[in-house]
Amino acid sequence: MLKGKTQEPIIESTVLIDVDTQKLKRELSTLLEHNAEEIRSQWIKEMQGQGLLAALSPTEIEEQSKVIYDTCLLCLKTGSYEVAQKYVASMAKKAVLQAMTVDQIIAGLLILRDIYARFIFEWYQKNPTKWRNVNGIYEPVARRILNIATQAFVAERESTIKQLQQQEVAKLSTPIADVWEGVIMMPIVGVLDSARAKQITESLLERISREKTELIAILSIGGIAAIDTQTANYILRTVHAIKLMGSEMIITGIRPDVATTLVTLGIDLSGIVTRSTMREGLEYAFDKLKLKVTKTS
Amino acid sequence: MEKPSIPILKSGDCLITSPQVALHDKLAVQFKNDILQRIVETKAKGLVLDVSAIDVVDSFLVRQIGEIAAASSIMGGHVVVVGLRPEVAMALVEMGFSLEGVHTAVNLEKGLEVLHKIWRR
Repeated sequence: MLKGKTQEPIIESTVLIDVDTQKLKRELSTLLEHNAEEIRSQWIKEMQGQGLLAALSPTEIEEQSKVIYDTCLLCLKTGSYEVAQKYVASMAKKAVLQAMTVDQIIAGLLILRDIYARFIFEWYQKNPTKWRNVNGIYEPVARRILNIATQAFVAERESTIKQLQQQEVAKLSTPIADVWEGVIMMPIVGVLDSARAKQITESLLERISREKTELIAILSIGGIAAIDTQTANYILRTVHAIKLMGSEMIITGIRPDVATTLVTLGIDLSGIVTRSTMREGLEYAFDKLKLKVTKTS
Repeated sequence: MEKPSIPILKSGDCLITSPQVALHDKLAVQFKNDILQRIVETKAKGLVLDVSAIDVVDSFLVRQIGEIAAASSIMGGHVVVVGLRPEVAMALVEMGFSLEGVHTAVNLEKGLEVLHKIWRR
Protein backbone atom coordinates (compact mmCIF):
# COMPACT_ATOMS: atom_id res chain seq x y z
CA MET A 1 0.00 0.00 0.00
CA LEU A 2 2.73 2.32 1.06
CA LYS A 3 4.83 1.37 -1.92
CA GLY A 4 1.97 2.08 -4.30
CA LYS A 5 1.52 5.53 -2.82
CA THR A 6 5.15 6.48 -3.10
CA GLN A 7 5.28 5.30 -6.68
CA GLU A 8 2.33 7.29 -7.90
CA PRO A 9 3.80 10.78 -7.71
CA ILE A 10 6.99 9.60 -9.42
CA ILE A 11 5.05 8.31 -12.42
CA GLU A 12 3.03 11.50 -12.53
CA SER A 13 6.12 13.66 -12.41
CA THR A 14 7.88 11.77 -15.21
CA VAL A 15 4.77 12.08 -17.33
CA LEU A 16 4.72 15.75 -16.49
CA ILE A 17 8.36 16.15 -17.52
CA ASP A 18 7.63 14.24 -20.72
CA VAL A 19 4.79 16.57 -21.57
CA ASP A 20 7.08 19.49 -20.84
CA THR A 21 9.88 18.23 -23.06
CA GLN A 22 7.37 17.41 -25.78
CA LYS A 23 6.09 20.96 -25.60
CA LEU A 24 9.59 22.38 -25.61
CA LYS A 25 10.59 20.11 -28.47
CA ARG A 26 7.61 21.31 -30.49
CA GLU A 27 8.47 24.90 -29.67
CA LEU A 28 12.08 24.36 -30.75
CA SER A 29 11.20 22.65 -34.01
CA THR A 30 8.64 25.33 -34.88
CA LEU A 31 11.25 27.94 -34.11
CA LEU A 32 13.84 26.27 -36.34
CA GLU A 33 11.23 25.76 -39.02
CA HIS A 34 10.21 29.42 -39.04
CA ASN A 35 13.78 30.61 -39.20
CA ALA A 36 14.89 27.95 -41.64
CA GLU A 37 15.78 30.36 -44.44
CA GLU A 38 17.88 32.59 -42.20
CA ILE A 39 19.79 29.74 -40.55
CA ARG A 40 20.32 27.94 -43.82
CA SER A 41 21.65 30.99 -45.66
CA GLN A 42 24.01 31.68 -42.76
CA TRP A 43 25.16 28.07 -42.88
CA ILE A 44 25.87 28.21 -46.60
CA LYS A 45 27.68 31.51 -46.17
CA GLU A 46 29.92 30.09 -43.48
CA MET A 47 30.68 26.94 -45.44
CA GLN A 48 31.50 29.02 -48.51
CA GLY A 49 33.72 31.22 -46.34
CA GLN A 50 35.75 28.13 -45.47
CA GLY A 51 35.83 27.02 -49.11
CA LEU A 52 33.93 23.81 -48.41
CA LEU A 53 31.47 24.17 -51.27
CA ALA A 54 33.85 25.14 -54.08
CA ALA A 55 33.15 21.97 -56.05
CA LEU A 56 29.35 22.23 -55.96
CA SER A 57 27.05 24.23 -58.23
CA PRO A 58 24.61 26.78 -56.70
CA THR A 59 21.59 24.55 -57.42
CA GLU A 60 23.34 21.58 -55.80
CA ILE A 61 24.17 23.66 -52.72
CA GLU A 62 20.57 24.88 -52.51
CA GLU A 63 19.09 21.39 -52.90
CA GLN A 64 21.49 19.52 -50.65
CA SER A 65 21.45 22.08 -47.85
CA LYS A 66 17.66 22.11 -47.88
CA VAL A 67 17.46 18.33 -47.71
CA ILE A 68 20.00 18.15 -44.88
CA TYR A 69 18.24 20.92 -42.96
CA ASP A 70 14.83 19.29 -43.33
CA THR A 71 16.20 15.88 -42.40
CA CYS A 72 17.76 17.24 -39.20
CA LEU A 73 14.49 18.97 -38.34
CA LEU A 74 12.53 15.78 -38.98
CA CYS A 75 14.83 13.85 -36.64
CA LEU A 76 14.26 16.46 -33.95
CA LYS A 77 10.51 16.44 -34.48
CA THR A 78 9.84 12.73 -34.70
CA GLY A 79 12.76 11.33 -32.71
CA SER A 80 13.20 8.77 -35.48
CA TYR A 81 16.55 8.67 -37.25
CA GLU A 82 15.65 6.31 -40.07
CA VAL A 83 15.31 9.14 -42.59
CA ALA A 84 18.72 10.50 -41.64
CA GLN A 85 20.30 7.06 -41.88
CA LYS A 86 18.82 6.45 -45.30
CA TYR A 87 19.77 9.88 -46.58
CA VAL A 88 23.35 9.72 -45.35
CA ALA A 89 23.83 6.21 -46.72
CA SER A 90 22.58 7.27 -50.14
CA MET A 91 24.70 10.40 -49.95
CA ALA A 92 27.80 8.39 -49.10
CA LYS A 93 27.24 6.37 -52.26
CA LYS A 94 26.24 9.23 -54.53
CA ALA A 95 28.47 11.04 -56.95
CA VAL A 96 27.79 14.41 -55.31
CA LEU A 97 30.17 13.19 -52.69
CA GLN A 98 32.98 12.72 -55.16
CA ALA A 99 33.12 16.50 -55.32
CA MET A 100 33.40 16.83 -51.52
CA THR A 101 35.71 14.92 -49.22
CA VAL A 102 34.49 13.27 -46.05
CA ASP A 103 36.19 15.82 -43.80
CA GLN A 104 34.57 18.64 -45.76
CA ILE A 105 31.14 17.13 -45.23
CA ILE A 106 31.72 16.49 -41.53
CA ALA A 107 33.07 20.05 -41.20
CA GLY A 108 29.90 21.30 -42.88
CA LEU A 109 27.70 19.37 -40.46
CA LEU A 110 29.72 20.66 -37.50
CA ILE A 111 29.18 24.23 -38.73
CA LEU A 112 25.45 23.56 -38.91
CA ARG A 113 25.54 22.28 -35.32
CA ASP A 114 27.34 25.44 -34.16
CA ILE A 115 24.90 27.70 -35.98
CA TYR A 116 21.95 25.94 -34.38
CA ALA A 117 23.58 26.24 -30.96
CA ARG A 118 24.28 29.94 -31.43
CA PHE A 119 20.79 30.57 -32.70
CA ILE A 120 19.27 28.76 -29.71
CA PHE A 121 21.49 30.68 -27.33
CA GLU A 122 20.52 34.03 -28.84
CA TRP A 123 16.85 33.18 -28.68
CA TYR A 124 16.77 31.91 -25.11
CA GLN A 125 19.57 33.92 -23.50
CA LYS A 126 17.12 35.90 -21.38
CA ASN A 127 15.87 32.68 -19.81
CA PRO A 128 18.86 30.51 -18.75
CA THR A 129 16.72 27.66 -17.32
CA LYS A 130 14.77 27.28 -20.51
CA TRP A 131 17.98 27.57 -22.53
CA ARG A 132 19.47 24.70 -20.56
CA ASN A 133 16.36 22.58 -21.08
CA VAL A 134 16.30 23.30 -24.82
CA ASN A 135 19.95 22.37 -25.05
CA GLY A 136 19.12 19.14 -23.28
CA ILE A 137 16.78 18.34 -26.16
CA TYR A 138 18.89 19.68 -28.97
CA GLU A 139 22.33 18.34 -28.09
CA PRO A 140 21.56 14.58 -28.13
CA VAL A 141 19.87 14.96 -31.50
CA ALA A 142 22.88 16.78 -32.95
CA ARG A 143 25.26 14.18 -31.52
CA ARG A 144 23.21 11.34 -32.90
CA ILE A 145 23.02 12.84 -36.40
CA LEU A 146 26.78 13.45 -36.54
CA ASN A 147 27.34 9.93 -35.31
CA ILE A 148 25.12 8.48 -38.01
CA ALA A 149 26.88 10.52 -40.70
CA THR A 150 30.36 9.46 -39.61
CA GLN A 151 29.38 5.83 -39.33
CA ALA A 152 27.81 5.84 -42.79
CA PHE A 153 30.97 7.24 -44.36
CA VAL A 154 33.21 4.75 -42.60
CA ALA A 155 30.94 1.88 -43.64
CA GLU A 156 30.86 3.07 -47.24
CA ARG A 157 34.61 3.45 -47.42
CA GLU A 158 35.15 0.02 -45.91
CA SER A 159 32.79 -1.65 -48.36
CA THR A 160 34.44 0.14 -51.29
CA ILE A 161 37.88 -1.02 -50.20
CA LYS A 162 36.60 -4.55 -49.70
CA GLN A 163 35.02 -4.58 -53.15
CA LEU A 164 38.21 -3.37 -54.82
CA GLN A 165 40.25 -5.94 -52.96
CA GLN A 166 37.93 -8.72 -54.01
CA GLN A 167 38.13 -7.62 -57.64
CA GLU A 168 41.92 -7.57 -57.48
CA VAL A 169 42.09 -10.98 -55.87
CA ALA A 170 39.64 -12.38 -58.42
CA LYS A 171 41.76 -11.04 -61.25
CA LEU A 172 44.92 -12.49 -59.77
CA SER A 173 43.29 -15.87 -59.19
CA THR A 174 42.72 -16.50 -62.91
CA PRO A 175 45.98 -15.69 -64.69
CA ILE A 176 46.34 -16.46 -68.37
CA ALA A 177 49.80 -17.41 -69.58
CA ASP A 178 50.83 -17.17 -73.23
CA VAL A 179 52.66 -20.42 -73.75
CA TRP A 180 53.09 -20.38 -77.50
CA GLU A 181 51.55 -18.71 -80.50
CA GLY A 182 47.96 -19.95 -80.37
CA VAL A 183 48.35 -21.69 -77.03
CA ILE A 184 47.29 -20.19 -73.72
CA MET A 185 47.38 -21.79 -70.33
CA MET A 186 45.43 -21.13 -67.19
CA PRO A 187 46.75 -22.85 -64.08
CA ILE A 188 44.22 -23.00 -61.25
CA VAL A 189 45.50 -23.42 -57.73
CA GLY A 190 43.48 -23.55 -54.54
CA VAL A 191 39.74 -23.64 -54.15
CA LEU A 192 37.65 -23.76 -57.29
CA ASP A 193 34.12 -22.61 -56.48
CA SER A 194 31.43 -21.53 -58.90
CA ALA A 195 32.32 -17.84 -58.53
CA ARG A 196 35.89 -18.55 -59.56
CA ALA A 197 34.72 -20.87 -62.33
CA LYS A 198 32.60 -18.01 -63.66
CA GLN A 199 35.63 -15.73 -63.55
CA ILE A 200 37.65 -18.36 -65.47
CA THR A 201 34.93 -18.62 -68.11
CA GLU A 202 34.68 -14.90 -68.54
CA SER A 203 38.39 -14.23 -68.84
CA LEU A 204 38.96 -17.16 -71.21
CA LEU A 205 36.06 -16.25 -73.50
CA GLU A 206 37.01 -12.61 -73.44
CA ARG A 207 40.59 -13.47 -74.31
CA ILE A 208 39.58 -15.77 -77.16
CA SER A 209 37.24 -13.20 -78.67
CA ARG A 210 39.94 -10.54 -78.41
CA GLU A 211 42.58 -12.71 -80.04
CA LYS A 212 40.57 -13.24 -83.25
CA THR A 213 42.54 -16.38 -84.08
CA GLU A 214 42.14 -20.01 -83.18
CA LEU A 215 43.47 -20.76 -79.73
CA ILE A 216 44.08 -23.87 -77.75
CA ALA A 217 43.42 -23.18 -74.10
CA ILE A 218 44.91 -25.51 -71.51
CA LEU A 219 43.11 -25.46 -68.19
CA SER A 220 45.38 -27.00 -65.62
CA ILE A 221 43.46 -28.00 -62.53
CA GLY A 222 46.23 -30.02 -60.89
CA GLY A 223 46.30 -27.60 -58.00
CA ILE A 224 42.70 -27.82 -56.91
CA ALA A 225 41.62 -29.91 -53.98
CA ALA A 226 37.97 -30.61 -54.74
CA ILE A 227 35.23 -29.91 -57.23
CA ASP A 228 31.43 -29.76 -56.99
CA THR A 229 28.70 -30.39 -59.55
CA GLN A 230 27.98 -26.76 -60.26
CA THR A 231 31.61 -25.91 -60.84
CA ALA A 232 32.15 -28.97 -63.03
CA ASN A 233 29.12 -28.01 -65.08
CA TYR A 234 30.43 -24.51 -65.44
CA ILE A 235 33.71 -25.80 -66.81
CA LEU A 236 31.91 -28.14 -69.20
CA ARG A 237 29.86 -25.23 -70.47
CA THR A 238 33.01 -23.21 -70.95
CA VAL A 239 34.51 -26.00 -73.03
CA HIS A 240 31.40 -26.06 -75.24
CA ALA A 241 31.25 -22.28 -75.53
CA ILE A 242 34.89 -22.14 -76.56
CA LYS A 243 34.20 -24.82 -79.14
CA LEU A 244 31.32 -22.76 -80.49
CA MET A 245 33.69 -19.85 -80.89
CA GLY A 246 35.95 -21.99 -83.03
CA SER A 247 38.68 -22.63 -80.48
CA GLU A 248 39.48 -25.53 -78.23
CA MET A 249 39.97 -26.09 -74.54
CA ILE A 250 41.60 -29.07 -72.93
CA ILE A 251 41.80 -29.94 -69.26
CA THR A 252 44.98 -31.26 -67.70
CA GLY A 253 46.10 -32.53 -64.34
CA ILE A 254 42.86 -33.94 -63.01
CA ARG A 255 43.89 -35.54 -59.74
CA PRO A 256 42.66 -39.01 -58.81
CA ASP A 257 40.28 -37.78 -56.11
CA VAL A 258 38.87 -35.08 -58.39
CA ALA A 259 38.45 -37.68 -61.15
CA THR A 260 36.64 -39.96 -58.71
CA THR A 261 34.37 -37.11 -57.69
CA LEU A 262 33.58 -36.31 -61.33
CA VAL A 263 32.72 -39.92 -62.05
CA THR A 264 30.67 -40.26 -58.87
CA LEU A 265 28.76 -37.11 -59.69
CA GLY A 266 27.97 -38.58 -63.09
CA ILE A 267 29.54 -35.76 -65.05
CA ASP A 268 30.02 -36.68 -68.67
CA LEU A 269 33.46 -35.69 -69.89
CA SER A 270 33.12 -37.38 -73.27
CA GLY A 271 34.02 -35.10 -76.13
CA ILE A 272 36.41 -33.19 -73.90
CA VAL A 273 40.11 -33.68 -74.32
CA THR A 274 41.83 -34.40 -71.02
CA ARG A 275 45.48 -35.10 -70.33
CA SER A 276 47.09 -36.21 -67.12
CA THR A 277 49.84 -33.60 -66.96
CA MET A 278 50.37 -30.07 -68.16
CA ARG A 279 53.27 -31.33 -70.24
CA GLU A 280 51.10 -33.81 -72.10
CA GLY A 281 48.56 -31.07 -72.62
CA LEU A 282 51.24 -28.92 -74.20
CA GLU A 283 52.32 -31.82 -76.38
CA TYR A 284 48.72 -32.22 -77.54
CA ALA A 285 48.58 -28.52 -78.42
CA PHE A 286 51.86 -28.71 -80.36
CA ASP A 287 50.55 -31.77 -82.17
CA LYS A 288 47.41 -29.88 -83.16
CA LEU A 289 49.45 -26.94 -84.38
CA LYS A 290 51.74 -29.36 -86.25
CA LEU A 291 54.71 -28.18 -84.24
CA LYS A 292 57.61 -30.35 -83.17
CA VAL A 293 60.13 -29.67 -80.48
CA THR A 294 63.60 -31.03 -81.31
CA LYS A 295 67.02 -30.76 -79.79
CA THR A 296 69.49 -28.56 -81.64
CA SER A 297 72.62 -30.50 -82.36
CA MET B 1 8.65 -14.03 -104.25
CA GLU B 2 10.07 -11.51 -101.81
CA LYS B 3 13.60 -10.34 -102.40
CA PRO B 4 16.06 -11.70 -99.87
CA SER B 5 16.81 -9.00 -97.32
CA ILE B 6 20.09 -10.52 -96.15
CA PRO B 7 22.62 -10.98 -98.96
CA ILE B 8 23.89 -14.51 -99.54
CA LEU B 9 27.06 -14.56 -101.61
CA LYS B 10 28.44 -17.43 -103.63
CA SER B 11 32.12 -18.20 -103.93
CA GLY B 12 33.04 -21.41 -105.69
CA ASP B 13 31.13 -24.22 -104.08
CA CYS B 14 30.50 -22.17 -101.02
CA LEU B 15 27.82 -19.76 -99.86
CA ILE B 16 28.78 -16.94 -97.54
CA THR B 17 26.32 -14.89 -95.54
CA SER B 18 26.69 -12.40 -92.73
CA PRO B 19 23.51 -10.88 -91.28
CA GLN B 20 24.20 -7.37 -90.00
CA VAL B 21 20.78 -6.71 -88.52
CA ALA B 22 19.00 -8.25 -85.58
CA LEU B 23 17.30 -11.45 -86.73
CA HIS B 24 13.79 -11.24 -85.34
CA ASP B 25 11.53 -14.25 -85.76
CA LYS B 26 9.97 -13.42 -89.13
CA LEU B 27 13.27 -12.39 -90.64
CA ALA B 28 14.97 -15.51 -89.27
CA VAL B 29 12.43 -17.78 -90.96
CA GLN B 30 12.76 -15.88 -94.22
CA PHE B 31 16.55 -16.02 -93.89
CA LYS B 32 16.42 -19.78 -93.43
CA ASN B 33 14.18 -20.24 -96.46
CA ASP B 34 16.40 -17.96 -98.56
CA ILE B 35 19.50 -19.93 -97.65
CA LEU B 36 17.91 -23.30 -98.41
CA GLN B 37 16.58 -21.90 -101.69
CA ARG B 38 20.03 -20.65 -102.62
CA ILE B 39 21.63 -23.99 -101.78
CA VAL B 40 19.20 -25.69 -104.16
CA GLU B 41 19.75 -23.08 -106.87
CA THR B 42 23.54 -23.01 -106.71
CA LYS B 43 24.14 -26.63 -105.70
CA ALA B 44 26.55 -25.29 -103.10
CA LYS B 45 28.32 -27.82 -100.93
CA GLY B 46 28.99 -25.56 -98.00
CA LEU B 47 27.73 -22.52 -96.13
CA VAL B 48 29.63 -20.13 -93.90
CA LEU B 49 27.34 -18.24 -91.54
CA ASP B 50 29.09 -15.27 -89.99
CA VAL B 51 27.25 -14.19 -86.85
CA SER B 52 29.83 -11.75 -85.50
CA ALA B 53 27.34 -8.88 -85.81
CA ILE B 54 24.66 -10.65 -83.80
CA ASP B 55 24.73 -9.88 -80.12
CA VAL B 56 21.36 -11.25 -79.04
CA VAL B 57 20.28 -14.81 -79.71
CA ASP B 58 17.01 -16.35 -78.59
CA SER B 59 16.01 -20.00 -78.63
CA PHE B 60 13.94 -19.50 -81.78
CA LEU B 61 16.91 -18.20 -83.73
CA VAL B 62 19.05 -21.04 -82.40
CA ARG B 63 16.47 -23.51 -83.69
CA GLN B 64 16.48 -21.83 -87.10
CA ILE B 65 20.26 -22.16 -87.30
CA GLY B 66 19.97 -25.80 -86.26
CA GLU B 67 17.34 -26.37 -88.95
CA ILE B 68 19.51 -24.70 -91.58
CA ALA B 69 22.35 -27.04 -90.64
CA ALA B 70 20.13 -30.14 -90.62
CA ALA B 71 18.40 -29.31 -93.91
CA SER B 72 21.59 -28.43 -95.74
CA SER B 73 23.35 -31.56 -94.55
CA ILE B 74 20.44 -33.57 -95.97
CA MET B 75 21.09 -31.76 -99.24
CA GLY B 76 24.78 -32.60 -99.01
CA GLY B 77 26.06 -29.28 -97.69
CA HIS B 78 28.02 -28.41 -94.56
CA VAL B 79 27.39 -25.42 -92.33
CA VAL B 80 30.13 -23.56 -90.50
CA VAL B 81 29.10 -20.93 -87.99
CA VAL B 82 31.84 -18.35 -87.48
CA GLY B 83 32.46 -15.33 -85.29
CA LEU B 84 30.29 -16.24 -82.30
CA ARG B 85 30.63 -13.68 -79.54
CA PRO B 86 31.57 -14.93 -76.08
CA GLU B 87 28.28 -13.89 -74.48
CA VAL B 88 26.31 -15.50 -77.31
CA ALA B 89 28.39 -18.68 -77.10
CA MET B 90 27.73 -18.90 -73.37
CA ALA B 91 24.01 -18.26 -73.90
CA LEU B 92 23.84 -21.02 -76.51
CA VAL B 93 25.53 -23.51 -74.21
CA GLU B 94 23.20 -22.54 -71.37
CA MET B 95 20.21 -23.06 -73.67
CA GLY B 96 21.51 -26.55 -74.34
CA PHE B 97 22.28 -25.95 -77.99
CA SER B 98 23.92 -29.10 -79.30
CA LEU B 99 26.88 -28.85 -81.61
CA GLU B 100 25.68 -31.69 -83.79
CA GLY B 101 25.79 -31.02 -87.49
CA VAL B 102 27.26 -27.55 -87.08
CA HIS B 103 30.94 -26.79 -87.41
CA THR B 104 32.41 -23.69 -85.82
CA ALA B 105 35.40 -21.49 -86.53
CA VAL B 106 36.87 -18.26 -85.30
CA ASN B 107 36.37 -16.19 -88.45
CA LEU B 108 35.39 -16.39 -92.10
CA GLU B 109 38.88 -17.32 -93.24
CA LYS B 110 39.14 -20.23 -90.81
CA GLY B 111 35.57 -21.19 -91.64
CA LEU B 112 36.46 -21.61 -95.30
CA GLU B 113 39.50 -23.64 -94.28
CA VAL B 114 37.24 -25.93 -92.26
CA LEU B 115 34.97 -26.42 -95.28
CA HIS B 116 37.91 -27.25 -97.57
CA LYS B 117 39.18 -29.74 -95.00
CA ILE B 118 35.78 -31.44 -94.92
CA TRP B 119 35.58 -31.57 -98.72
CA ARG B 120 39.03 -33.11 -98.99
CA ARG B 121 37.97 -36.05 -96.85
